[in-house]
Amino acid sequence: MHARVQQWWVVYRIALEERLVYRGDFALGTLMRFLPIVTQIFLWWAVFDAMRHESADASETIAGYSYANFIAYYLLTMLGRAFSSMPGLASGIAQQIRNGEIKKFLIQPVDLIGFLLLNRMAHKTAYYSVALGPFALVYFLCQSYFPPMPDAGTWGAFGLSLILAFVLGFFLEASIGLIAFWFLEVSSLLFVYMLLSFFLSGHMFPLDMLPYPWSTIVDFLPLKYLAYFPSAVFLGKVTGRELVISLWVEVIWVVALMVLCRVMWNRGLARYSGYGG
Amino acid sequence: MPGESVHPSYIRVLLTFMRNSLVRDMSFRSNFVIESVASTSWVFMNLGFYLLIFRYTNEIGAGSGWGKYEFFVFLSTTMFINSIIEALFMPNAQEFSELIRTGNLDFALLKPIDTQFLVSCRRCDWSSLANWLVGGSLLVYSLRQLTARAENPLQIHPLAFVLYPFFIVCGVAILYSLMISLSASSVWLGRNQTLYNFWFYITNFSRYPMEIYGGTYGTPLRAVFTFVIPVLIVVNVPARWMAWPFDVARSGPLSLFAVAATLASLMFSRWVFLRALESYRSASS
Amino acid sequence: MLATRCLSRPPRLGLQVGRTVGAGGSVERMPIIEIERLCKSYQVYQKKEGLWASVRGLFRREYRQVEAVRGIDLTVEQGEFVAFLGPNGAGKTTTLKLLSGVIHPTSGTARVMGHVPWKRENAYRRRFALVMGQKNQLWWDLPAQESFRLHQQIYRIPTSSFHQTLDELCQLLDVKNLLNQPVRELSLGERMKMELIAALLHAPEVLFLDEPTIGLDVVAQHNIQHFLRTYQQTKQITILLTSHYMKDVLALCKRLVIIAQGQICYDGSLTGIIDRFSTDKVVTLLFGGDRLPSQWEPLGRVLEVVGPKVKLRVERQRVAQVLASLLADYSIEDVSVEDPPLEEVIADAFNQVSRTSVPGAPLDRIVPGTRV
Repeated sequence: MHARVQQWWVVYRIALEERLVYRGDFALGTLMRFLPIVTQIFLWWAVFDAMRHESADASETIAGYSYANFIAYYLLTMLGRAFSSMPGLASGIAQQIRNGEIKKFLIQPVDLIGFLLLNRMAHKTAYYSVALGPFALVYFLCQSYFPPMPDAGTWGAFGLSLILAFVLGFFLEASIGLIAFWFLEVSSLLFVYMLLSFFLSGHMFPLDMLPYPWSTIVDFLPLKYLAYFPSAVFLGKVTGRELVISLWVEVIWVVALMVLCRVMWNRGLARYSGYGG
Repeated sequence: MPGESVHPSYIRVLLTFMRNSLVRDMSFRSNFVIESVASTSWVFMNLGFYLLIFRYTNEIGAGSGWGKYEFFVFLSTTMFINSIIEALFMPNAQEFSELIRTGNLDFALLKPIDTQFLVSCRRCDWSSLANWLVGGSLLVYSLRQLTARAENPLQIHPLAFVLYPFFIVCGVAILYSLMISLSASSVWLGRNQTLYNFWFYITNFSRYPMEIYGGTYGTPLRAVFTFVIPVLIVVNVPARWMAWPFDVARSGPLSLFAVAATLASLMFSRWVFLRALESYRSASS
Repeated sequence: MLATRCLSRPPRLGLQVGRTVGAGGSVERMPIIEIERLCKSYQVYQKKEGLWASVRGLFRREYRQVEAVRGIDLTVEQGEFVAFLGPNGAGKTTTLKLLSGVIHPTSGTARVMGHVPWKRENAYRRRFALVMGQKNQLWWDLPAQESFRLHQQIYRIPTSSFHQTLDELCQLLDVKNLLNQPVRELSLGERMKMELIAALLHAPEVLFLDEPTIGLDVVAQHNIQHFLRTYQQTKQITILLTSHYMKDVLALCKRLVIIAQGQICYDGSLTGIIDRFSTDKVVTLLFGGDRLPSQWEPLGRVLEVVGPKVKLRVERQRVAQVLASLLADYSIEDVSVEDPPLEEVIADAFNQVSRTSVPGAPLDRIVPGTRV
């Protein structure tokens, strides 16, 4: 067990170092991440501005979101995405399968999914350590848009939803990458996933805005937990019984995807070694 | 070689590039279809988002002149410009950073042809041109709505049909300059993923009417993205000529500026490109 | 000092084709490549090990200065086939890249056919070609034919001469039937042939070849060598070649330039290099009687003994003396004195050069604290 932990630690540390080497990339990347929000802020300002002129009702809201709520929502989805997005994970796995690099996991006593999870955690740690500053600054500057401090329970649920978002995002993308065991070309599939997740995770707009058939569809997908859910929890849009149920549903999704990943990995490897590859 | 031109025929080289790309794309036909579908569905999703917004409002920005169908003209202009950029320059800009990283730029430098031209036009991604269909349909539909509406119908001035494509070309040139400058900078910065993100974030500003950038923070922002990095005029100028009533006093000054900005951007990108070539180190093997 | 080991340039070999220059029809040899004091140095980012070093690397980076080419002087005349030899990282490829204008030198000058390469004038770029064994320039997913057509457009080759040249080259290289196959489906050897065709379509007057036979099997290597020799002899173009394979050099080049650590340490004929760097001869003796010398050490180093046949390596100045004493004391039926194999001589040359580099002046020096 001790050896295992040590091995994990080394993997984690090397991945972290690797991330920090590319410094120019890093600093710029973090800074740029907030730019899309800026355009969203102005877009919604323009929308609310026009609405105020049309109806002269100052307390106008869209789907229960005030202008301040919208901005807070977008800022919070940034945080959600910072946890749940896994750039290059699925394509990386697919590539390793395609070029046969995956073979080394047949020989070495390292488990690919565990290895990638640690790697991802290291990436995220490196990212947060640099991103903490900009995030804190932006949230401080925009504090007037946020609702009054939520209670401890909401904070707890928020934190939990973020961590679950990370795990969910990881296993979701990993299983898409593992599809490469069966179909070599997953890049287009990946694009479809990216597209769907961009719109249906709530990254682009609060999912409450969606009209009837769509709102139900979105409710049955795991994607909403990647961005919409943590933000909605923080803003108090999901509370009480509904909150507890949603969290449980999220846990079930995580477990299901974890199992799916494991099954795909085992089957895929069996198939792979069956070819004598 | 007396009397013989040392310059190749750029048009014919460009056509050969486009032809070769088509031959290549056609040899991976299923991939081509999937890519076309994927890029079109991206466009449709965006359209869906704005349809959603216009369920709650009639205009983007009070009195801005961007009602539902005016904005859809704007949106189709964005589609035209983006699909040209994605088809002609995006694959090349990405490959350019890759050429720098791997040292394969060597070959481009050997050819008796302008290196910037060679690097910028090598590949053509035909599947991105599928969005022309979507953009075109949306444009026609929106213009019919605008010209047929009962209250204050739009009358399209004949000159608009000249100015619109002209300023689309200017917009493409501005975005191209930005893109090639960014990918050339990977000579100094190394990796290119961030550059790609940077590109995405910056052009994000260009996708909305400039009227939405108002107020204490918006006004300076608008100034920066109009006068320093002129991405705001890329879509706004052509879209105004088509979506709004023909009004030289209202759109003229900005249009003149757009012409100047286009020339300045092209010159700037040329300068960055040449500087980058000087610093190119040619990675071994 | 390294410099003291470098020879002054030996007299030109007699095979070049002269070019008529100037009035009066006087035949002068015209240098086609002139290089003077050419230098190129790079800065390389030093990645440090350890987490904290990486974090520090975010703010402050250390660079290492690498001097790839350190003052090269070279003149090549029209029609020469020159080989660049040297250990890895000696600066051969860098020199070729400088000459093709791909990179700018740190200092020094070079002229190829009267052009400064790194100005990258079209007029110059139409007149030479560079082939790199490690890189490919053909479109990977397309038949080579399509890439050739593109070259035709870029170099503005008239259609008739394009087809003629292409036919000729295809015939010489025997690849006519592969023209319509995507490049990715070709073998390495076939791909190299296509690369050569692409490079030669515009009939360059100067050709730079960087490891053209790397990774090829013996047959493919031989084919390429054969082609290069024939092509060079018929067209009388000037070729600079770098290679690791001594066979390429032996088969193709009369003139040899040895580069080590960024400097030229030999420039001359193949045979000259043996005089220069080999201090020994190989003496083969066939003894008549049963009696063989009991002690070899005073005579030379034994390479092999097969029955009465003995191969010895003897210092050159002592060959006469050793032979005389052996002939006096033993009955010897046959004697031959030969030069050692070229591979060995060149390996010796590399070794000599690296041994003599001055210990007090390291080639790479650390430049700390450079900010970017």
